[in-house]
Amino acid sequence: MGPPEAGAGARQQARANGPLRTLLAMLVVALAFAAVAGQLVRLALPGRSGPSSTLSETVGQSFARPDIVDRNGRLLATDVEVYSLFADPARVLDRDEVFEKLSPIFPNLSRDALRADLADRTRRFAWIKRGLAPKTAQTVHDLGIPGLDFRLELGRAYPGGTSAGHVLGNVNIDNKGVAGIERYLDEHVGVESVTGATLSEHAPVRLSLDIGVQHAVESELASAMDRYEARGAAALVLDVGTGEVLASASYPQVDPARPTMSLDPARIDKVASSTFELGSVFKTLTVAMVLDGGIADVDTMVDAREPLTAGRFTIRDLHPLGRPLSVAEVFIHSSNIGAAKLALQAGPRHMQTFLKRMQVLGAMKTEAGSIAAPQVPEPWGEIETMTVAYGHGLAVAPLQFAAAAAALVNGGNLVVPTFIKQPADAGLANVPLITAATSAQIRELMRRNVTEPGGTGKRADVPGYSVGGKTGTAEIPGRGGYRKKAVISSFLAAFPMERPKYLVLVLLFEPKPTGAANHEVLAGLNAAPTAGRIIARIGPLLGMMPTSASAGGSSGMAFDASSPAKYEAR
Amino acid sequence: MRMLILGALVLTLASAFLLYGISYDTRLLEDRVQAQERAIDAARSDIAVLKAERAHLGRPERIEPLARGQGLQPATDQQLAASPTAALARVRGMSGGASAADQKSGE
Repeated sequence: MGPPEAGAGARQQARANGPLRTLLAMLVVALAFAAVAGQLVRLALPGRSGPSSTLSETVGQSFARPDIVDRNGRLLATDVEVYSLFADPARVLDRDEVFEKLSPIFPNLSRDALRADLADRTRRFAWIKRGLAPKTAQTVHDLGIPGLDFRLELGRAYPGGTSAGHVLGNVNIDNKGVAGIERYLDEHVGVESVTGATLSEHAPVRLSLDIGVQHAVESELASAMDRYEARGAAALVLDVGTGEVLASASYPQVDPARPTMSLDPARIDKVASSTFELGSVFKTLTVAMVLDGGIADVDTMVDAREPLTAGRFTIRDLHPLGRPLSVAEVFIHSSNIGAAKLALQAGPRHMQTFLKRMQVLGAMKTEAGSIAAPQVPEPWGEIETMTVAYGHGLAVAPLQFAAAAAALVNGGNLVVPTFIKQPADAGLANVPLITAATSAQIRELMRRNVTEPGGTGKRADVPGYSVGGKTGTAEIPGRGGYRKKAVISSFLAAFPMERPKYLVLVLLFEPKPTGAANHEVLAGLNAAPTAGRIIARIGPLLGMMPTSASAGGSSGMAFDASSPAKYEAR
Repeated sequence: MRMLILGALVLTLASAFLLYGISYDTRLLEDRVQAQERAIDAARSDIAVLKAERAHLGRPERIEPLARGQGLQPATDQQLAASPTAALARVRGMSGGASAADQKSGE
C-alpha cells in the first residue's frame, strides 16, 4: 500500500499548502491594487504640473522695497513693475538685425557690446536693457525679433519728480538703495530679495517731510534764485520740538530717478552734505554763549568803534554806528567787532566747550546718511575765536547748525535732527544745553531783529506769525583770501517767536546785486525776504493761524492738524 | 469568499473612479487658483501704478498753478480778525485808505 499511501501524503501536503498559496495570490493582488491606488493619489496630489523651466540663466535678483510716504501719508517713492528686455543668444538669428532694429529705440545702445553678448551661443541669457516703460516694451515687442523676450522686474518710481530728491537718495539697477533714505531702508527697515516682480508687503516708511511744505520751500527758492540771480540755494524747515525735518531743499536739484545726476559736484546736497562758513547767523551762538556763561548780559556795553586787528585780518563792521554797543545791539546790528570782542572775553577754551556742547563741532548722523563733518580750525587760538564769533573760519553743514540754533530757541534743549516721523507723544529727551532764561533772551533778540527799524531781518516779517531771525552774509573763501563779491547770504528764522515751533534756515549762494535786492548782496535784502515768503506759505500748511493773538495764547494750532490726513497712500 | 472578492473589486473600481474624479476636480480648482493669483498679481501691479500716477497727478507742483488759477492763495492775517467789529473796522479803514500797515502786509 505504498503508492496510495504516498498519493494520500501528497494530497495531504497539497491541502496543507492550499491556504498559503491563496494568501500569496491575495498578497500579490493587494500589492497591485495598492500600486494603482498609490499612482492615483500621486496624480491627484497638487504641484505636479508640467516640467519647470530648464533655461540656465543668471537670475536677475532684485529687491522689493517698502513705499516711502511723507508725514501725512502722501507717496514719495514706490515700486512699480517694469519690463526688462533680454535675449536668448541661441535663438537669435541675425545679430546685426537685432542692433539695426533696436538702435532707433535705444539710441545709446552699444553695437560692440551687443554683438559680444549675443556671440556666445552657449549662453541662454543676456540682458539688453532693463527697466523699460510699458510703451517702449510694446514697441520692442511689435518689432517681432526672434530670440528677444521680456521679464518683469521691480523699478523704483518717484511720483514727485525732483521734489526732495536729495533726501530720498537713489537706488541702483537691482533696486537696491545706495544713498539717502533709500539706503536707510536697506540697512534698517529691510528690503526683500525677490526674483521677478513681487511687490513688498512691508508697511510704508513715514518720513518727517511734508510734501506741501517741501514744495512751498522749493518753489520759493527757485523764484529767489531767479530774482537774485543766485548760483544755488538751500533751505530747511525744522520742528524745534522734535527735531523732525519738514522740508529740506537744495538747488540745483537732483532727480532720484537719475542716479548719475547726484554725482555732479554742483548738485551736491547743500543742506547736509557740504559745509560752509555761515557768517553772521553764527553770532546767535556767540551771543547765547556769553549770555549763558554769565560773561555779559543783554545790556553790557561793548566798544565796537575801532576796527579790530587779528593777525593779518582786520575785522570791520559793515554799518559802523560809531558808538559803544550793547550786547543786544551787537546782535541786532550784526557787529563783527562786537561779536569778536565778546568771544575774546569768553576765551578760546570756553568757546570750544560751548560749541561742542551745542553739537556743532562733532560728527552728526541722520537717517539720510552722515552729515558732512564740520571743518574745525586747528589750532584754535584767539584769532580763530574772533573769526568764529561771526561765522568765519569754522565751516559747518547747515543742518547741523540748524539743530544747534533750534536748541537755542526751544527753551535750551538738545535737538537731534531726524527724517523719520516721530510718534506724537515722543516728545524730547530733555537734555538741557543752555538755560531756559538764555533761550528766552535769544528769542527776544531774534524777534527784535525783525521788528526794530534798524534790525537786519525786518524784511522777513510776516504779519501774524511773529517771526524772529538773524541774517548772515558770508564771503566765500577763494584762492588767496575771501572773495569780496561772492557771498553766501543766509537767514535763520523761527516762528512764532513767543513759543517757537518751527525753524527756517535759508541760504542763497552767490546772489547778484539785482534790482530786487536794492543792488546789494546783503542777506537782509535777499535771504530775509525769501525766508519771509517761505514762512507766509508754510504757516497755514502747518496748521497755524496767521494771528499773533492765537500764537500768544496757546500753541497757535488753529486748524485740526492732529486728526489723520484724508489723503493716505494705502 | 467569492462575495468578498467581488465586493473588493467593486470597492476598488468605485474608489478608482472617485479618485479620478477628485483628481480632475483638483486640477480644475488649481487652474482657477492660478488664474485668481494671476488676477491678484495684475491687480496689485495696477494698484501700484495707479498709486504712483495719483501721487504724480496730485503733486503740489502741478496743483499749485491750478489753485492759483482759481484765485486761491495762502491764508493771511487779513482773513482773520479778533471779533466781527474789528473786521468791520478794518474794512472801513481800508476803504478809507488809512490802513497803510494792512496794505503793506500783502508784500
